[in-house]
Amino acid sequence: MEKVLLKNIDNPDSARIEAYEKSGGYSGLKKAFEMEPKAIIEEVKRSGLRGRGGAGFPTGMKWDFASRDPKFPKYLLCNADEGEPGTFKDRPLLEKRPHLLIEGMIISAYALKAEYGYIYLRGEYPHAKVVLEEAIKEAYERGYLGDNILGKGVKFHLSVHQGAGAYICGEETALIESIEGKRGQPRIKPPFPVNVGAWGMPTVVNNVETLSNIPYIIEIGGEAYSQIGNPECPGPKLFSISCCVEKPGVYELPMGTPLKEIIYEHAGGIKGGRQLKAVIPGGISTPVLTPDKIDCPMDFVNLPKVGSMLGSGAIMVFDDTVCMVKVCWRAIKFFEHESCGKCTPCREGTGWMRSILERIEGGFGREGDIELLQDVAMSIAGKTFCPLGDGAANVVLSFIRSFTEEFDYHIKNKKCITQ
Amino acid sequence: MIKLTIDGKEVELEKPVTVLEAAKKAGIRIPTLCYFEGLSPFGGCRLCLVEVEKLPKLQTACTLMAADGMVVRTETEQIKAARRAMLEFLLINHPLDCPYCDKAGECELQDLVAKYGPEAGRFAEGKRQHPENFDDPIIVRNMERCVLCTRCIRMCNDLQGAYAITVTGRGSHSFVEPFSGGKYNCEYCGNCLTVCPVGAIMSRLHRHSYRPWFVEKEVETTCGYCGVGCSLILQMREERIIRTIPRVGLGLNNGLLCVRGRFGYDFVESRDRLSTPMINVNGELRPVSWQEAYEFVIRRLKEIKETHGPTAIGGIASGRCTNEDNYMLQRLMRFVIGTNNIDSTARLYYAPAVAYLEQIFGQGITANLIPGIANSDGALVIGGDPTTINPILGLQIRALWRSGGKVIVVGAPGGLKRFASYEVVPRPFAEEIVLSAVVSRLVKEKELKGELTHLEEKIKGLKEPAEGDLQAAGVSAETIDRMVTDLKAMETPVIVIGPELLQHGRPSKNLFLTAALAYAINARMFVLSERPNYQGVIDMGCLPDMLPGGRPIDFEMFRHKIEETLGKEVPQNKGLNLFEMIDAAADGRLKALYVMGEDLLFSLPGREKTRKALEGLDLLIVQDIYLTETAKMADVVLPAASWSEKDGTFTNLERRIQRVRAGRTISSGRPDWQIVSEIARGLGDDKVFSSAHDVWEEVIHISPLHAGLSYEDISEGKAIWPYHGEPLRGVEGEFDVEGLDSLPKVDTDAIILNMHRPLYHSGSTSRRSKALISIFPEPVLMMNPSDAKGIGVEEGEKVRLATSNASIEVKVKIDRDLQQGVVSLSNTFEGVNFMRFVDYTVEPTTGSMVITNNSVKLEKVKE
Ligand SMILES: Cc1cc2nc3c(=O)[nH]c(=O)nc-3n(C[C@H](O)[C@H](O)[C@H](O)COP(=O)(O)O)c2cc1C
Ligand code: SF4
Ligand code: SF4
Ligand code: SF4
Ligand code: FES
Repeated sequence: MEKVLLKNIDNPDSARIEAYEKSGGYSGLKKAFEMEPKAIIEEVKRSGLRGRGGAGFPTGMKWDFASRDPKFPKYLLCNADEGEPGTFKDRPLLEKRPHLLIEGMIISAYALKAEYGYIYLRGEYPHAKVVLEEAIKEAYERGYLGDNILGKGVKFHLSVHQGAGAYICGEETALIESIEGKRGQPRIKPPFPVNVGAWGMPTVVNNVETLSNIPYIIEIGGEAYSQIGNPECPGPKLFSISCCVEKPGVYELPMGTPLKEIIYEHAGGIKGGRQLKAVIPGGISTPVLTPDKIDCPMDFVNLPKVGSMLGSGAIMVFDDTVCMVKVCWRAIKFFEHESCGKCTPCREGTGWMRSILERIEGGFGREGDIELLQDVAMSIAGKTFCPLGDGAANVVLSFIRSFTEEFDYHIKNKKCITQ
Repeated sequence: MIKLTIDGKEVELEKPVTVLEAAKKAGIRIPTLCYFEGLSPFGGCRLCLVEVEKLPKLQTACTLMAADGMVVRTETEQIKAARRAMLEFLLINHPLDCPYCDKAGECELQDLVAKYGPEAGRFAEGKRQHPENFDDPIIVRNMERCVLCTRCIRMCNDLQGAYAITVTGRGSHSFVEPFSGGKYNCEYCGNCLTVCPVGAIMSRLHRHSYRPWFVEKEVETTCGYCGVGCSLILQMREERIIRTIPRVGLGLNNGLLCVRGRFGYDFVESRDRLSTPMINVNGELRPVSWQEAYEFVIRRLKEIKETHGPTAIGGIASGRCTNEDNYMLQRLMRFVIGTNNIDSTARLYYAPAVAYLEQIFGQGITANLIPGIANSDGALVIGGDPTTINPILGLQIRALWRSGGKVIVVGAPGGLKRFASYEVVPRPFAEEIVLSAVVSRLVKEKELKGELTHLEEKIKGLKEPAEGDLQAAGVSAETIDRMVTDLKAMETPVIVIGPELLQHGRPSKNLFLTAALAYAINARMFVLSERPNYQGVIDMGCLPDMLPGGRPIDFEMFRHKIEETLGKEVPQNKGLNLFEMIDAAADGRLKALYVMGEDLLFSLPGREKTRKALEGLDLLIVQDIYLTETAKMADVVLPAASWSEKDGTFTNLERRIQRVRAGRTISSGRPDWQIVSEIARGLGDDKVFSSAHDVWEEVIHISPLHAGLSYEDISEGKAIWPYHGEPLRGVEGEFDVEGLDSLPKVDTDAIILNMHRPLYHSGSTSRRSKALISIFPEPVLMMNPSDAKGIGVEEGEKVRLATSNASIEVKVKIDRDLQQGVVSLSNTFEGVNFMRFVDYTVEPTTGSMVITNNSVKLEKVKE
């Protein structure tokens, strides 16, 4: 497949506006300005694009809600927090293809009648910040941003807001709180951001990759776009693959490419030719899969059928030398550290799960610990304020479900099955 | 109409509410922790989880809006398990130091665990640790106990508006931080204490000396600090107040209090309390029995009345005493001794303001409801900071702003800093110019109603400031434009008037201008009241020209009515007011003065003059709870019962009458009304009053305003203006304005000493509260940073502050929000109080005092 998102990525100047324009950049924008804002939203709806931030919400529908709200001003926020462990698919877009994102945002803003946009950037991406700011400057200079874009009377201003290193700030309402200068904690929903978002105004939050798909949709039309990959959730998709593979990295492939193909054909198979033991398919919050499930197509529709989720499309591959108890412990340590503290089960429960895992992993596990761990996870699951806590519980439950014998072995033998 | 089913019960709702509220309506209790009535929903504790048909996950009842057709279940096995789990989670890090925790017995977590919790926790590792924090003088924080419900933070930010605390850290290492010595805007209201469900934020005042089951009796009373009149509950044990608390649903403060009301109660236990009557023998006050004291007072008053006539005697009533006390003092003066020489420090601004406004608009013009302020769409605040003078009223203005209303502050914004749409800060005492400009412009753009011709005629004669005048006042023409536009646009405006409007420049002109403005935009007016009962003092007739109920003394009809009812003669000549009494004492016309609950030497400017006047008296009777500076000069000192030791009523600035109830009398002081009554009987009065209630019975007989208003009505909250009785209506009288056709000169060079009215102190009572003193321990001179820089002082260093009256060293505190050219000092601390430095004149038109000799010299003190 011809690359859309990572087009020209090997050109060292891919981030410069000249290179971008030369390869046809900003033509989608010009085309979009000939269209009615409503028509753009219709086109995006027709494309079937679903959000790439994790939840897979239909983008056109989200825009429609926001554009129907009569309140003004409206805001467009780009979620570039990329905090999910294992996820680094937005990074090449931010660092190498900033104008694709900016063009996508201008079209989106035009469709939404939003006059202000912010890119909420992961605090740990200092290089992306430099690149983005330079690119925004270029876009202003060329008249793509400002009070009267390309003389068409369209106004859109864009700036970068850097996060301070909290995973929860990737959650859209916490992100909004953070942009407003408050403590990053999720808000009660409803009302949803499309009605009451930043500073109380209708707000669309979209992932970097989602927005980067917009120029292409405008270019080829929603209909054509909807034919790429799995028609139920179409489009090109970035997969970041890491851990025990030969060629970790970011791959642009059609939605629905089988997991097996990604691991073995694109990422070069398991490192050192070892045996595959487990795969986390969509970032740390998604349930772990055993090797028997890897024929599954990677998309929003098929992964749930095998008990996991596409999430951010961050594939983490573990071979037979990896201790699953340790992976689980490390994952939960992450959740404990990142729990914002707002709700009881996540705040207290993640730490409790971590300490049980810690003692099992360290060889101090007790009989009944697995049941206790499951019980604690069950007490968290479905009862937290936001999906972060839920994610933690599901990780524990899926690891125990898939690797009970490893947990058992740890407790009984005070050491790891891999040793 | 929304219909839903909760636990099988059908619930019908008029307007949309949360499932929690709907359940409450149906009498179904859902356990909660982070929810608190009146605070925005949070949804964090997850205790209120319920099952809703068709929704896959459990839902939090406190955040979910009830919808038509919803089927909710609150007591299933799944829910019970979830609650148990949440409580087990909460106990992971919550220390189980319950036996030692002051919250035990009224801890919501304890109660919830007892009712819904697991029998034992399964968490085996160590709990997080966090040291107890004593940085704050009156609040102790134990963040190990915090359950992170954020009720305190929502209270502090959303209702109190102090933004003093927030959650820091994340996850289970989140803590509520910091208060810290005022540095972070903490106003020490203690409202966070009320809402904390556990023992994480507590008062230090009753640390380890309080358990709910220690409370032997609860007494509902009215706060004795300011004219808002918050309702509070005294929790008593063995004769002592162990705590005062507000209660949601009680009084106009509805669960809120300010620092003085919540923590300032310990003044009643001060060591300075008088313990015995005393008589001055050869320059020394000696303890005597009550009998001796009474005999002495009675004998001396008789002698003076016989030799010099009744008008040689005068009385000073008190804004800190009850209506009953004040009524009795004016009764003694008028109906027993036979003089109208009765007044109080309400004369310093409050009484003249109310009298002047009533002259223009009729009685009751300032009787407006405080809780209505928050619902207004605009406010103009002038002459003082409501958030410190009348804090709970101040919160209403903050709420008004928060809900989108315009708040315009003329003068330094103080506690409205973050709640003012903008502030207009003219040079000292140039408010008159600003107001003149606004009124002149406003009436050009907006037609007057034609109702009050006197007022409208005067408005027509008003001199409009020219460009140059505005310049001198330091206010631009655009600012005036903006004010006019905003004021005109307000539909339900309020105007809040503070003491400064009267105490500087030309009181009548300033008041007239404010009245004209209120008239033009149809505003409700509020006059800030520094004392709990200034309005009561007026309504009880403690004025030289007014009888109880606000009836002018020169109307024969009113005098007659009282004479008929009481069978006593009412003197017909207008008496002397406070300032006239001082003058009369100085030149020998006044021989005896009965001062009740007031420290004249401390509260009045022109200290030397006052001192000489008091010295010249043949008889100075001081009835007080402390040995004040004035009391030290007295011939006889009578110890009174304090606020928490007596029954009666206060009338607040909205004219709401509320009950003051005795906790228990711990001092040897006696209720003021009772002392006065004893003396009256010695002087031939035949009426016996055996309780405050008896006194009130007489009040409602002779005051047409209070006719038929019983203690029961008052207790039930029915004593809101207008009462059952009759206000004095339809008197669109003549009134004068000084300098209608001129404007004041603005002195731009002088440094002016102003009175600081801090939140933590009001007058000298607060000085006797250990709690309040711990927050604001010593006199400080507030200075603007550039003025401080000008003389090279920094915060904490000392300056010598001097006028022709006094020259004293005082520490400097920098206040960014203070105008340049103004320094301010509170009237709190003996020896270094504001009034000591300044003098006064009296404006004849209003009878209000105007501070003079307030241009000061400042010099850095070299160490
Ligand atoms: C704990 C948490 C972390 C999240 N982090 C991110 C993130 O780093 N980047 C992102 O795009 N979306 C993240 N999301 C998803 C956002 O809430 C939101 O769904 C997304 O930004 C919407 O954009 P989309 O519709 O384009 O996918 C996160 C969600 C949760 C619950
Ligand atoms: S689940 Fe609760 S504590 Fe955890 S991140 Fe979300 S809101 Fe915060
Ligand atoms: S005492 Fe009042 S101002 Fe201070 S933190 Fe508590 S609520 Fe806020
Ligand atoms: S200190 Fe008290 S009120 Fe504040 S968050 Fe903690 S438990 Fe809640
Ligand atoms: S009371 Fe509903 S979540 Fe706390």
